[in-house]
Amino acid sequence: MNRRDFLHSASAAALASTTIARAATPAPKPIRLGVIGAGSRGQEDLRQFLRIPGVSIEAICDIYPPRYEQVNRLAGKQVPHTPDHKDFVARHDIDAVIIASPVGCHAEHVIAASNAGLPIYGEKALGFTVDDNHNILATITRNKTLFQIGHEYRYASWAQEAIRRIHAGDIGTPTHAYAYWHRNGNWRRSVPSPDPGGKLEHLINWRLYRETSGGLGTELGSHHIDMANWVFGEQPESVLGTNSIVRYHDGRTVGDNVQAIFNYSQGRRLVFSSITDNAKLGCEFWVYGTAGSVQITIEDAYIYYEKNVSNTPTADKQNSKTIVEHGVVTGASYSTQGEMPYRGPGEKIQAPDAEDPTFAAARSFIEAVRGEHPVFADVHCGFASAIASSVAHDAVFTETKTPIPKPRTT
Amino acid sequence: MKILLRALVTASIGLTLARAATPHAPAPHAQTLYTTTHPAMGTDFTLYLYASDPTVAATASEEVFDEIDRIEQLLSNYRDSSELSRINQNAATKPVTTDPEMLAFLQASEHWSRISDGAFDITVGRLMKSWGFFRHEGRIPTDAELSALRAVTGWQKVTLDPTNRTVSFTAPGIELDPGGIGKGFAVDAAVRILRADHITAALLSAGTSTLYALGAPPHKSGWRIVIPGPLPSKETLSTVILRDTSLSSADCSQKNFTLGGHLYCHIMDPQTMKPVEGRIQVSIINPSATASDALSNVIFVQSPEQSLATLRASAPGSHALIVSGTADHATCAAFQWQSPVNSAHCKL
Repeated sequence: MNRRDFLHSASAAALASTTIARAATPAPKPIRLGVIGAGSRGQEDLRQFLRIPGVSIEAICDIYPPRYEQVNRLAGKQVPHTPDHKDFVARHDIDAVIIASPVGCHAEHVIAASNAGLPIYGEKALGFTVDDNHNILATITRNKTLFQIGHEYRYASWAQEAIRRIHAGDIGTPTHAYAYWHRNGNWRRSVPSPDPGGKLEHLINWRLYRETSGGLGTELGSHHIDMANWVFGEQPESVLGTNSIVRYHDGRTVGDNVQAIFNYSQGRRLVFSSITDNAKLGCEFWVYGTAGSVQITIEDAYIYYEKNVSNTPTADKQNSKTIVEHGVVTGASYSTQGEMPYRGPGEKIQAPDAEDPTFAAARSFIEAVRGEHPVFADVHCGFASAIASSVAHDAVFTETKTPIPKPRTT
Repeated sequence: MKILLRALVTASIGLTLARAATPHAPAPHAQTLYTTTHPAMGTDFTLYLYASDPTVAATASEEVFDEIDRIEQLLSNYRDSSELSRINQNAATKPVTTDPEMLAFLQASEHWSRISDGAFDITVGRLMKSWGFFRHEGRIPTDAELSALRAVTGWQKVTLDPTNRTVSFTAPGIELDPGGIGKGFAVDAAVRILRADHITAALLSAGTSTLYALGAPPHKSGWRIVIPGPLPSKETLSTVILRDTSLSSADCSQKNFTLGGHLYCHIMDPQTMKPVEGRIQVSIINPSATASDALSNVIFVQSPEQSLATLRASAPGSHALIVSGTADHATCAAFQWQSPVNSAHCKL
């Protein structure tokens, strides 16, 4: 079974555990969760996990004390807390851990949790640096840790169906993916005042500083890299990119806009753009094929077919007049109609449900912890996108084409 | 549609412009009024806040609107992927486990239904669709339709289990519609963000129907809110000064349809299964925006006498002004309303 087949079978297994099937099962096995990193994303993960029968939140680890009360409110109870991840992973009252700390801490936290024998739901990106990604992959593999990466769009039913149709050839041969994650906001979080030395600024707004963040290319782009990997069935080979600060001259050291081209085999490409001062395009992922296009958003997916497949010859019908009998009518050849963007409706891709992708991902993880099926978005999936993000992190500053390493063989 | 309120901040804006024109730099911690608007929940949310610099204002605004977007994703009955839609889709076949925040929302809804004897009810989803208010396509359902809808309408048909954090429906086909309380719930969540960000003076308005006044503008005792007289009047009915409290209003001026010369309001009386008749507009002040939003529906649906009794019994800290009748012959009922009321519009 190759990797794509495995992903498909895992996907089918995940889809097979439908509401109806679960309704017939007895009370689910309780799963006690802990979370390392209870910021905005960690809290959203917790909300989604608390919507799954049998799941409870039993411990949190965070070095920023205001998070404790925020989690207590979210969980509806007092949740034990610690600032030390080593104390956290030594607990004996948690069955699995969510790791949603800043990306620069992922390697330390994931490796510690893996060595403690805990199943892990790890937020993307898998790791921050190239070495981090290799080390996480090696540890998870060595320990045989149940690990799911937070690429939740792998669990969106409309994305799964869209990718299935792409792989089935509905848009011909996919050659390009264009991904946009455009926002209009400064991407900041409020920092308490006073803040001597800017310590809290760097703690809370870690996404804005190059030493702790891969910027937009990692925090947003890693989702799209993963989707392109899903489409093309491999990780990218190299990346060429650029970035700048065009609007928010507020001391940040990552770009407030990023553009990067990820190169895949056979000349296929992902073109990624993220800007933060115009949200016209929002978040959308396009796959362009020789016979059509697919648009995948955070809520739905559409397919658009090319008007003419000019490189597919059609045979004349028998017993009908052909161009030989009719002749060719001459006239002006200039026409711009074919160059205009298509603005009409597409075909909405029908999906079996509309579950929130993060909820679907959380539910699938808990089912995997209970032994119901294997993980779909596993550590290899996380590695393939994160390794590209890690390389792109520097490549958008060097603005040179940079190779992306493959997993190390042991 | 909720009543249009006018938050008068012109004096403060004028102050801002005057400060900008002066050749001297502002004082180190001078507070400037910043205004941002964000579309959500089928309306525009507007945030007026005082901050020491534009970055603080922009950051706080972004966090507030992120929170409102999060609540919309929790409660929207227009999005199939929302938590509310997940409950609507599954709660009739099995108990649906939900998170504490959603459970708290449902418990608040249940509370206001119970104390109002069903005048407030979020199980009106199918009823709203039947009357064509879901996507603004007004129609009058037949009596047979309304009779059938009684089987899928009624707050008692929703069962909450706080211990197991589950919600279930006692009958198939029930659809929750958060329209009478959701914006207030979002405003309360957003105000918690403002407080956490140490913003001390802000006014957050959810499409002007529910608003919260946090603190007060510099050198003011509170935020000035103008309640207009019944349409077509453009005069003021009453003016209130709000500080650390919310105000919600309801009327039918913007969400309605007219058939056969009769105007049908989007606010349903769950008892009659028909749009409310005879109420022009209501306004209610309560420290909780969730409460004021729900109560604005309660006092719009109930008769003024019933409303006053409900408020005395279950929301004694509220202040309310209820306008009934027609624009030509309006009457007002007040509950602890402390500001003058323009008697040209109605007599108390």
